Amino acid sequence: MAPNSTLEKSIDKILKKTEKEILLDLENSSLDSKQTLDNSLPKLEQGFDKIISDGNKEANKIEKQIIGSSELEVRNKQLLLLEEGVDKVFSKALDQIANADRSGDYSNLINTLLDESTKILGVTEVTVFTNAKDKDVVQSALSKFSGAELSSDTIDCLGGVIIKSKDGTMTFDNTIDTRIERLKPLIRKEIASKFGVGN
Amino acid sequence: MTTEGGVQYSKIAEIKGPLVVVDDVENAAFDELVEIETNEGERRLGKVLEVGNGKAIVQVFEGTTGLSISGTNAKFVGKVMEMPVSKEVLGRVFDGLGRPKDGLPDPIADKFVDINGEPMNPEQREYPKDFIQTGVSVIDGLMTLVRGQKLPIFSGSGMSHNLLAAQIARQASVVGTQDDFAVVFAAIGVQYSEAEYFRRSLEDSGALKRSVLFLNTADDPAIERIITPRVALTVAEYLAFDLGIHVLVVMTDMTNYAEALREISAAREEVPGRKGYPGYLYTDLSTIYERAGKLQGRKGSVTQVPILSMPSDDITHPIPDLTGYITEGQVVVGRDLFRQGIYPPINILMSLSRLMKDGIGEGSTREDHSEVANQVYDAYSRAQEVRALAGIVGKAGLTEIDLKYMDVGDVFEKEFLSQATDENRTIEETLGILWKIVSQLPKNEITKIKDKFVDQYYKGK
Repeated sequence: MAPNSTLEKSIDKILKKTEKEILLDLENSSLDSKQTLDNSLPKLEQGFDKIISDGNKEANKIEKQIIGSSELEVRNKQLLLLEEGVDKVFSKALDQIANADRSGDYSNLINTLLDESTKILGVTEVTVFTNAKDKDVVQSALSKFSGAELSSDTIDCLGGVIIKSKDGTMTFDNTIDTRIERLKPLIRKEIASKFGVGN
Repeated sequence: MTTEGGVQYSKIAEIKGPLVVVDDVENAAFDELVEIETNEGERRLGKVLEVGNGKAIVQVFEGTTGLSISGTNAKFVGKVMEMPVSKEVLGRVFDGLGRPKDGLPDPIADKFVDINGEPMNPEQREYPKDFIQTGVSVIDGLMTLVRGQKLPIFSGSGMSHNLLAAQIARQASVVGTQDDFAVVFAAIGVQYSEAEYFRRSLEDSGALKRSVLFLNTADDPAIERIITPRVALTVAEYLAFDLGIHVLVVMTDMTNYAEALREISAAREEVPGRKGYPGYLYTDLSTIYERAGKLQGRKGSVTQVPILSMPSDDITHPIPDLTGYITEGQVVVGRDLFRQGIYPPINILMSLSRLMKDGIGEGSTREDHSEVANQVYDAYSRAQEVRALAGIVGKAGLTEIDLKYMDVGDVFEKEFLSQATDENRTIEETLGILWKIVSQLPKNEITKIKDKFVDQYYKGK
């Protein structure tokens, strides 16, 4: 029995030692795991915050994109509609000018246009071009401008005159079309303001 | 604007490069707008460069290709070139001469403004001191842009300056105020794909509604490039000083502008200066750059970020050289960083914002901004020295502190400098990363920051 008892004692001793070691290992592992968990918690929170903040940023970005492009689309449609309105007003006004009565004040207008044109060109020896409708009015006005003669060629315009120096080097376009074209940006603004835009 | 038109002259004496010489001209004025009519009735715009002895030299913006001496007429319009301006220009895309390019009609003008602008009265100028956040860490943190400043970006061919330009245009904002902010973007002689990128980039980000784009592409006549920055700045000045908006003007590429200037100068047979550029290049550039600023009693401001690509990356080239004399600092894009794939590849050691000190700190960005920026600048400079040393003696020959500085250099480039093209960092985030870099160093190496800030923000062990 004696040798067996020694063996059992030894086995018990080894078992107890191993048990102690295992328990210690388990305890250490548990502590390590706890530590790892504790350490990863702030990282997790940081990661979570970053995901939320990135998500919010992205959402803001998309919101800006959607709102920005929709606003722009609406504004652009408004601009096109406004332009359509302005064009209609313009073409109606041009029609009225084209069909305006050529008597009365109109001859004064032609006189002014001729006077202005010859002054700007700085020569009196000029050829005057006008449309078929205005030929008579211009012809009678030319009596006041010595050296000026009316061309037999007519031009296509609403009214007014084109003056060319006789040597052909200088031309001054004083037709109603050109004057309207020159003032078009200002007239557009006026018309737009009647539509309640640009005030 | 007057009802009076101009005289049309048909005696063209000579066509030379982008210039047309008109004979027997009376009463033409310097800078007067000229309409050139071709044989086929096509109209091109130009302006008078010189008058005298019955001759006028006209610079044709859209080029003289296809013009012939006979049959070409020059109409002197009787006014200088003007740009119609109104708030409606926001969200619009124009060509290099200020004509709509987006299929929409001309804007209904509030007024017509001479594109050459009026010089700001120096007495009325207000010193720039308010921060503009670009959302790009390296600019906001280390070379801060302030409202009314002119801060050029010096780059080289093929580098990512256009990506950076578009990113700044998309992201720039004024923080801590409800003031309106707008971006005027002038693309000068860029490729079609780049112009489209700028347009799409602003459209997709929703930033187009607060932007105005002027696109002069590489295939547009070079002479138009003389006008593009001027029309852009005219709109910017109107938005800033008439409507009280803070305006950031991004102009890329100013080198193309200078090339156009050289082309005209050569055609006029002027005595060339350095590298063939005209002797008045400095004066001419200043008429553009000096249009940045703030005025007393006016709410808005014009801030400029001109971008220029340095031929052969040569910073002593006349264009960056003369630009540097006029502007208030420079942001230099580095070839080495670009080759490493870093975006934005800004070489901070060669870059500087001279007005940064006035636009940062308590009340603008944060009280520790200046000191942490100085510390990082210093540390990165040291990191570069250590890297050079490691190239000779190897890493094994470095001290522990040298290795720390190498780490600082790496963290700086990977986390601070590198940024996605669509990443918009707030100034708080930028300062946070700067502190992360500083925290790589032991506390005793931090010599440029007050202890109270170190106690508050230092994250090292």
